Amino acid sequence: MSGAAYLAWRYLLHHRIKTLILVLSIALIVFLPIGLRVLVRQSAAQLTARAEATPLVLGARGSALELVLASLYFDAEPPPSIAYAEATRVDESSLAEAIPLHLGFRTRDKPIVGTTLEYFELRGLHVAAGRMLAVLGECVVGARAAAELGVGPGDALVSSPETVFQLAGVYPLKMRVAGVLAPSHTPDDGAVFVDLKTAWIIAGLGHGHRDLADAKAQTDVAAREGGRITAKASVVEYNEITPENAASFHFHGEQAELPISAILARPRDAKARALLLGRYQAPDEPIQVLRPTAVMDELLETVVTVESYAVAAVGAVGVATLATAGLVFLLSIRLRRREIETLVKIGGSRASVATVLLSEVVGVTLLGIVLAGVLTLVTSRFGEAAIRRFLLS
Amino acid sequence: MATAAFELSDIRFRYRGGDFELRVPELRLEAGERVAVIGPSGAGKTTLLHLVAGIALPDRGKVTTAGTEITALGDAARRAFRARHVGLVFQEFELLEYLSVLDNILLPYRINPALRLDTPARARARALANGVGLGEKLGRPPARLSHGERQRAALCRALVTEPDLVLADEPTGNLDPDNKQRALDALFAYADRSGAALLTVTHDHDLLPHFQRVIDFKSFWSSGS
Amino acid sequence: MRLAALLLLLLLLPACSPESQAPAPDAAATAGPLVVYTVNAPLGWMAQRIGGEAVEVRFPAPADVDPALWSPESETVAAYQGGDLILLNGAGYAGWVARATLRRRALLDTSAGFQDRLIPVEDATTHQHGPKGDHSHGEVAFTTWLDATLAAEQARAVAGALADTRPADAETFATGLAGVESDLAELDHRLADAAASLGEAPILFSHPVYQYLGRRYRLNGRSLHWEPDAHPGAGEWRSLEALLREHPARLMLWEAEPVPSTAQRLKALGVESVVFAPCGNRCGDDWLGAMQDNAARLEAALR
Repeated sequence: MSGAAYLAWRYLLHHRIKTLILVLSIALIVFLPIGLRVLVRQSAAQLTARAEATPLVLGARGSALELVLASLYFDAEPPPSIAYAEATRVDESSLAEAIPLHLGFRTRDKPIVGTTLEYFELRGLHVAAGRMLAVLGECVVGARAAAELGVGPGDALVSSPETVFQLAGVYPLKMRVAGVLAPSHTPDDGAVFVDLKTAWIIAGLGHGHRDLADAKAQTDVAAREGGRITAKASVVEYNEITPENAASFHFHGEQAELPISAILARPRDAKARALLLGRYQAPDEPIQVLRPTAVMDELLETVVTVESYAVAAVGAVGVATLATAGLVFLLSIRLRRREIETLVKIGGSRASVATVLLSEVVGVTLLGIVLAGVLTLVTSRFGEAAIRRFLLS
Repeated sequence: MATAAFELSDIRFRYRGGDFELRVPELRLEAGERVAVIGPSGAGKTTLLHLVAGIALPDRGKVTTAGTEITALGDAARRAFRARHVGLVFQEFELLEYLSVLDNILLPYRINPALRLDTPARARARALANGVGLGEKLGRPPARLSHGERQRAALCRALVTEPDLVLADEPTGNLDPDNKQRALDALFAYADRSGAALLTVTHDHDLLPHFQRVIDFKSFWSSGS
Repeated sequence: MRLAALLLLLLLLPACSPESQAPAPDAAATAGPLVVYTVNAPLGWMAQRIGGEAVEVRFPAPADVDPALWSPESETVAAYQGGDLILLNGAGYAGWVARATLRRRALLDTSAGFQDRLIPVEDATTHQHGPKGDHSHGEVAFTTWLDATLAAEQARAVAGALADTRPADAETFATGLAGVESDLAELDHRLADAAASLGEAPILFSHPVYQYLGRRYRLNGRSLHWEPDAHPGAGEWRSLEALLREHPARLMLWEAEPVPSTAQRLKALGVESVVFAPCGNRCGDDWLGAMQDNAARLEAALR
């Protein structure tokens, strides 16, 4: 290290607090817009990846963004429900495979997603512990949800007693954890999945009780006309589906009329997709079909705009910070006037004296830039994981 | 005739903002000579040292130091010359607070590329420090030294480059008698050892018996005309 | 708010360790026979005859249960999930399917094509919750294969699903289907001939599982609720005697060999017992053979 650079280094070390503050300030000013841009790009990539993995979403007409956010990220109020018949309509069109979703219930703070086995195929999800859900009343839990809820295969989860479809409220259902999914680094990691029929049971649209034809169930019977039994309202319904009582669970009404929140549609090919999109264009059509990528692109445009404003704001703060830093340097030089005179008097060359002074500026700036570079690397490396953990779930 | 340590010829220097002018028709110091310039505090004695060292240039006249007419040199050359041949002891010591004692002593080597910080230089620095009782405190910052220790460190810095000429500005100012003597001993020991000339400006009459020649600074004053 | 969260993110990054990517699931084997699960033996026979070596038929119900009422363990249901095709009888058969999570695309309701011809169960019990509450629907009879023509329709549905799933073997499936249709047509003829000789003569069914047989072959039958391995009680004998006064049957079809004392007492009443096993579960080596045996026993009883 040259003599002058050594002196500069000793100076910086001696005034370590001032040096640290200046280095951090410069590092932040350099890093913030870059880091912001990295994070926004990574967020956009993740949001886009999820949307790209979902060809089409169908749901009730209304807010497209809310429908997409609810069905892809489970992160919004559930959209207005549509009839299960709409999923059958898609299937019977032979244009796409329909994967119904039932949203709205939670267990503790984790969303319960009612769906079919095809959902797991679509998302590439597979079981890491235990097995896939097989019968009514079972659930499989996303990797992160399992860790946070502290559950594994064989444990139980109880749905939260929230009202979704019925003002009268629904009883909580105790579900058996059949398996835990492998991490997918998507919102699926934070969800609890049940069969669609289990979701309907949680909603109170299906239930189990003892056989009303049984002699022991007479206290539950309000009236009997031949083979037609009217049950009392006080009949006790099971709040857990077990191998012993599973056969008693049933639904009243037509399955086609039961509610779902959305349909993920997997078209056969591009032509089928276009045809399917065309089928829902009528003005009086109560169902909307969305391409999630288009909806997310609109959202991301807004995010990018906000990012630009944020970067501009950071830039303005940065200019102010750099001006302040410049002022600090100038004041520092002024305070070191006597030192400069001493260096000149004992024969310090102009270059050496200038180097000593400028090295402070250069040293702090370089350290700030290096720190900004490190922060940027760290952001690039860990940003995706942090986004998944704190923003997308 | 042997080369003088320095020679001032027909020097005129007007103090800024003042009516007084420094006039030195002739002042010469031989190699190895010890000369004290006596005068009251604030009389401008430091300026005389600056003229000899080439820190300031006279309005008129010639300054020759160690055989080199420094008034004919450019600023960079004068600085390099000064770094190599002149050792300066400042009235306020002027140690750099962010450097250790050793780094302060070695400062001349770090701020002029004409000087090379090599092993002999480092050895000289340690030897000088040991000689003045600072051998155990080389790693300390000036803030942790006593007044006398700081002065001795400044002395070592002035002597580490083995200058031909040592200019000391009030080297014993504010020192107790013990430290005053130690400072003088260090200066004189170097001068005796190296044959360097020593020019000291002081207001302390107690020092005068130690010098071979005493010059009254008042003789260099003149009112401006 | 999102911007604030993004900025906060910067402080929390070191807390996030990169997670390893989940290994991709193994790609489903596209080579090898199609794995076909069924809910009863007749469909298993059809699938095997139609599919030949292109299929591997699995029917995991234990041999001693009635598959119509069987409730498999969760692990067994999980095995069904692995099937390329899951053949359902429909008509409410195997109620466990409604409570299971199976791949919808793999499910085939083999009686979907004749929903309008399903026979409602008389005197079924339904219930509703409250005077105006939703009500449960009555049941339908589910032993559709006892009508050989309906069995042929089910076989055609199986062949169609196999061809959709493995188009490369469509020719094999078509050939197999032709053989099945031929066999079922022959069975149909045989049963029709036997029924013709019976004419309008009243007969009895030990259990209400012969609805489709009765309808197809115009049998004048009435159903009891007698288990082959149980001794009917005195009340049941009295009910039977009352029934015989208005429905003088000379023949009773049993799902399985009745207890000898029951058969003897029936014989004393003039009622011949004939085993006509519905064969919902495995019957001997071959379902068709078992049905042919049914036909043979019926023919022998009518001679």
